[in-house]
Amino acid sequence: MGAIIFFIFYGSILFFIITTVIRVKRFINTPVHLHWELYKGSSIYEQKEWWGKTHNTFGKKLWSMILDIISLREFYHRNRRFWYFLYSFHLGVYLLILWHAFFLFNTLVIQIVESVFIWGVLWGHITTGLTFFGIVGIFIKRVGDEDLKIYYPPIHYLKWPFLAFILLEAFYSVHFYFGDIFEDLLLQFHPNIATPAHLLFASVLLIYLPYSHVFQLFFRYYHSLRWDDVPNMRGSNIEKRVKEHLERPLTWSAPHISKGKRWREVVSE
Amino acid sequence: MTGGKARKKIRLKDVCLNPDEPLVTIMVDDLMPLPSPLEGKEKKKPYPDLSEDKKKNYECSLDGVSAISLQKPKSKEEEKKLVRQFLEGLRKLLSENDNWPFCQPLIQSLESCVHCQTCSDACPVYISSGRQEIYRPTFKSEILRRIINKYIKKRGKFLSKLTDDDIDLNWPTIARLAELSYRCTLCRRCAQYCPLGSDNGLIGRELRKLFSQEMGIAPKELHDSGTIQQLKIGASTGISPPAFQGMIEFMEDEIEEKLGKRIKVPVDKEGADILLIHNSGEFMSWIENPAAFAIIFEEAGLSWTLSSEIYGYEATNYGTWYDDIQFARISIKQVEVAKRLKVKKIVMGECGHAHKGLIVLADRILIDEMNFPRESYLPLMEDIVLNNRIKLDPQKNDFPVTLHDPCNFVRLMGIVKPQRNILKKICPKFREMEPHGLENYCCGGGSGFAIMSSMNFKEWRENISSRMKLKQILEAFKDVLDPEIKKYVCAPCSNCKGAIRDILNSYDLWETHSIYYGGLVELIANAMVDMKKPFIDWEWH
Repeated sequence: MGAIIFFIFYGSILFFIITTVIRVKRFINTPVHLHWELYKGSSIYEQKEWWGKTHNTFGKKLWSMILDIISLREFYHRNRRFWYFLYSFHLGVYLLILWHAFFLFNTLVIQIVESVFIWGVLWGHITTGLTFFGIVGIFIKRVGDEDLKIYYPPIHYLKWPFLAFILLEAFYSVHFYFGDIFEDLLLQFHPNIATPAHLLFASVLLIYLPYSHVFQLFFRYYHSLRWDDVPNMRGSNIEKRVKEHLERPLTWSAPHISKGKRWREVVSE
Repeated sequence: MTGGKARKKIRLKDVCLNPDEPLVTIMVDDLMPLPSPLEGKEKKKPYPDLSEDKKKNYECSLDGVSAISLQKPKSKEEEKKLVRQFLEGLRKLLSENDNWPFCQPLIQSLESCVHCQTCSDACPVYISSGRQEIYRPTFKSEILRRIINKYIKKRGKFLSKLTDDDIDLNWPTIARLAELSYRCTLCRRCAQYCPLGSDNGLIGRELRKLFSQEMGIAPKELHDSGTIQQLKIGASTGISPPAFQGMIEFMEDEIEEKLGKRIKVPVDKEGADILLIHNSGEFMSWIENPAAFAIIFEEAGLSWTLSSEIYGYEATNYGTWYDDIQFARISIKQVEVAKRLKVKKIVMGECGHAHKGLIVLADRILIDEMNFPRESYLPLMEDIVLNNRIKLDPQKNDFPVTLHDPCNFVRLMGIVKPQRNILKKICPKFREMEPHGLENYCCGGGSGFAIMSSMNFKEWRENISSRMKLKQILEAFKDVLDPEIKKYVCAPCSNCKGAIRDILNSYDLWETHSIYYGGLVELIANAMVDMKKPFIDWEWH
């Protein structure tokens, strides 16, 4: 039984890594799109002869990404009523990830001392509370707010109870696991299935994650879709990719488009 | 079906039902109220009903409006054929091979929406219409998403139920989607607001592309009289090279009258530093705009030229809004003119979509030597004005001025400061609209709406898509509404200017409250010390 659970758990980690890599790779390899980005502020086009100017905003973009991910500031500015619960949920999740890393680090690298452990448990309780508060809040808003309810497919309603269940179940199993440390007699009544069950549900979550919206953040910031502004310069990698695309066959059927030719030929007519 | 206060809730699946009845009928009471002096002074209906004959022959089952004059199919067989074509086009839209120019952001936009509806509050059409469900930015996107899930991805019964598979792909759905793709001005304010970066504006544009590139369906003003005519004659206005030469002579006469001396406008001057390309609509409707450019450039001593060659005197590229192939064809032809003239760079005049089209969007179409230097006129004008390369007297512009930001300059291109720096220097009574800059509202004429006037679409535009802009203008001038005080709405884009002209005209705001409109360069020319007569003549046209 234990071996199967561990097989599923480590398998799900592997699945998570492989699926993520495949999805990111597939996305990066989709054809370079026309220069359609939006602008957050002044761009190089405010300058005369902009093509001769240095264009490097990677640091800015990275900083902007970090701020967005940490604070969900776009929701904060544009949709405050939703942000409170959303932020509570995300902050909780970020802290829970750190919490796991914290314990892993303490277990593998240094010997855990009790004071550190107590702080860690407190941290776990607070972040679990934050996450749970966020999940319940989002779910209630999703059900009760007409604007948010609209167009929300049924499958997404299942997501929130599922996440809440995993969280509660994780909370339960952690208490079981550490129960003897706290000498909490009540915890002795927990069935010993709690920890394997947690691993099993965590596995399901890991399998779901690469398909969740969280991963859109990656695509959005690392793949030049929204704010990026990289002009195509002669001899650049972009130009190289565009040249390849212009050799693709053009298959659209409207009367003004010649049949059986390549992009380059049709647009040069 | 709906109207007034007892409004029935529209569901997504309504799009495929009741083909003979509009999903909504909008009354003035539904709309966002206008401020003083227009408060409560509107007609009952924002746009007229179509005649029974037109209703019989043309699709208007979305909102009673026909933007694209889409004819109803004559038989069930024709309907089925159109449905097949649509589905084929949709497959191509999602394919890397067929839609390499946009499949990446399109798929991202379709997949990333979390249905938070943050975009709804950003959309001027949705807000102005009194939050009509059909104009919500996510309405058409969600319909498309569900059609893709059901007919392209084919996820199986169970998963389909969980992701809502209630929309049937039939002719009413397609006809309504075709019209819906022309109820969004592609201002992309919704995309700017979306925390996940889903671009509902792009989804609208790609729908337009599917209809044009696969089914041959597009508004006549954009396609037949637009890009097709431009590729054939040289300009979407129908101006031919000889007619253009005649207009230049007329412009020189106009300049002589205002400036007090005759200048020879350079045309087809080989080896000049700058090839200046205007929207040819300026020559037809607002000759003072290219005239102001000519005066400023000559007085500043620039080496520049216009072109009278076919494609060289037309900056517009309506393909930007609906068709990648037409867009690419026109971009290439414009650059070829510049190369033949051996100029150093192309400078775009006051035309927003031409800026975004040729300077930004086309840079991933133009390769090798075709990747020719192209820039906006704004940094050039900023340099001339701020560095005193011409003599200016701001007191000549001593009247209230407000600035309309064309979406293509600000949100879609990041040119925000130069126009403000110029206005702050030459217009002592300059005041901003709210909101402005990157958060501006579209004039309502974006993405071709300004030139589209099929059936009752013009009235729809004036009363719904331009409504937010009208509100902003009135609020910007609320302390100076006295008709004795002349006011100027600066709209540095030809299409925006047309849309603003139409809303001011529709509500008689020039006659009753002296609200005038024009470009940015007219204000610069008006402030020039050396002008014999005031450049702005305050005569409505």
